[in-house]
Amino acid sequence: MFGYVRPFQPELKCKDLSLYQATYCGLCRCLRRRYGLIAPLFLNYDFTFLALLLWEPEASFVPCRGRCHAGLLRKEPMCPDSPALDQAADQSVILAWWKLRDSVRDEGFWRGIPARILSWLMGPARRKAARRRPAFDRTVQSCLEELSALEGEGCPSLDRTADTFARLLQSAAPQEGARGRILSQLLYHLGRWIYLADARDDLEEDRLAGRYNPVAARYGPAGDDRALRLTMDQSLELIGAALQLGDFGCRLPVLENIIYLGLPRVEEAVFDGSWKEIKKQKIRRNDR
Amino acid sequence: MRDPYSVLGVSPSASDEEVKKAYRDLARRYHPDNYQNNPLADLAEEKMKEINEAYDTITKQRSGGASGGYQQGYQQSYQRTADPTYIRVRNLINAGDLNSAEQLLFEMGRKDGEWYFLSGSIAYRRGWLDEAMQNYAQAVQLDPNNMEYRQALAVMQRGAMGGYRPMGYSSAGCDPCTTYLCCSMCTPWGGPCC
Repeated sequence: MFGYVRPFQPELKCKDLSLYQATYCGLCRCLRRRYGLIAPLFLNYDFTFLALLLWEPEASFVPCRGRCHAGLLRKEPMCPDSPALDQAADQSVILAWWKLRDSVRDEGFWRGIPARILSWLMGPARRKAARRRPAFDRTVQSCLEELSALEGEGCPSLDRTADTFARLLQSAAPQEGARGRILSQLLYHLGRWIYLADARDDLEEDRLAGRYNPVAARYGPAGDDRALRLTMDQSLELIGAALQLGDFGCRLPVLENIIYLGLPRVEEAVFDGSWKEIKKQKIRRNDR
Repeated sequence: MRDPYSVLGVSPSASDEEVKKAYRDLARRYHPDNYQNNPLADLAEEKMKEINEAYDTITKQRSGGASGGYQQGYQQSYQRTADPTYIRVRNLINAGDLNSAEQLLFEMGRKDGEWYFLSGSIAYRRGWLDEAMQNYAQAVQLDPNNMEYRQALAVMQRGAMGGYRPMGYSSAGCDPCTTYLCCSMCTPWGGPCC
């Protein structure tokens, strides 16, 4: 995805930062083990959040040490394999592959070459992931198709376009029972928020390139930051309200940090134009 | 029933004050105001009930008598409207059958404040917040004296300022009062530094 869902490190306690990092490294290792050496390219903060969210609440944090993919001589604490990591890994491969197909179609022949090569290389991994999560694969495909159809016809409704991506993310969690309802509302509004943040971030670029942008279609070419922020904040409210109802065990403090501090800060940065800087910042401990 | 102390997240040896504090924090967290119109309102209500019962049990055990729990009954008390179709639409929305509710509204000819309010409620339940707010605004414009419409719009307009924040997350860098307080405590001359 896009890396919008990240913790606010200065307010993260040391133990929570270790938990976050071990989850991130664990997801990387999980991608490598399940999908081969280039799959960790698709590692990102958004799916680390998803893994934290999907983790069984009663499971405590017991990291093991594993070799880092980026520097094979280094050993890092990592979360051992778990169903939540497996699911996040499968889903990130599926979503990344479909996004690559999207850019192949949108970019034209020459500029689409890198995406075409990468999607060709990742083809077998995606087929494997789709066999493991057939329902998610189908939803991603249909939602992205719907989205590009809406974009093609220049849809003026902010909610309708955001709804496609929101439903896509919503389908990442099981829908059954009270926990399913909580997760699905949380992920729906997270998807909506990510889509709107991305649309606002691309506003200027799309305007120069003459492309469709949902924010411009709704509020006019200059956008309307006040109205857009209000509706994004409402989604954040609903994300927080859903989080409070669920049981997330020892992962709650990290999730709270991401939702109550990380997301508002990213939102702020997207609106004041400093997002490009923040995007590059790594979430890591300084003592290594 | 679960152990009342574990519901409130305190140990059985906690003082009355600690129990009260834990209870208050949880009651603030799951307060119906934070879940107005929210599709998850029923889950919050269950939590609230559980917390109230736990607190009641503990206070009864400790004092052997009266309890002072948070007992403000909360119902989604909709104003009764005259038109039977609107009542059916409201019932469908409450039951979560949004498509049928929308269909019923769609078939109605006239559009008044109630019509826009109910369309807004359907949109809100779906998570279509931009359209929900447009519909609520329209409802208030058509019927400015209706408190229900005005409240629905006000909840949406408060944005990030309303709702529950856990301890330590209340100043997400945007609350001017807290920022001022922090600044004046950090600077030796006690005034704002920025």
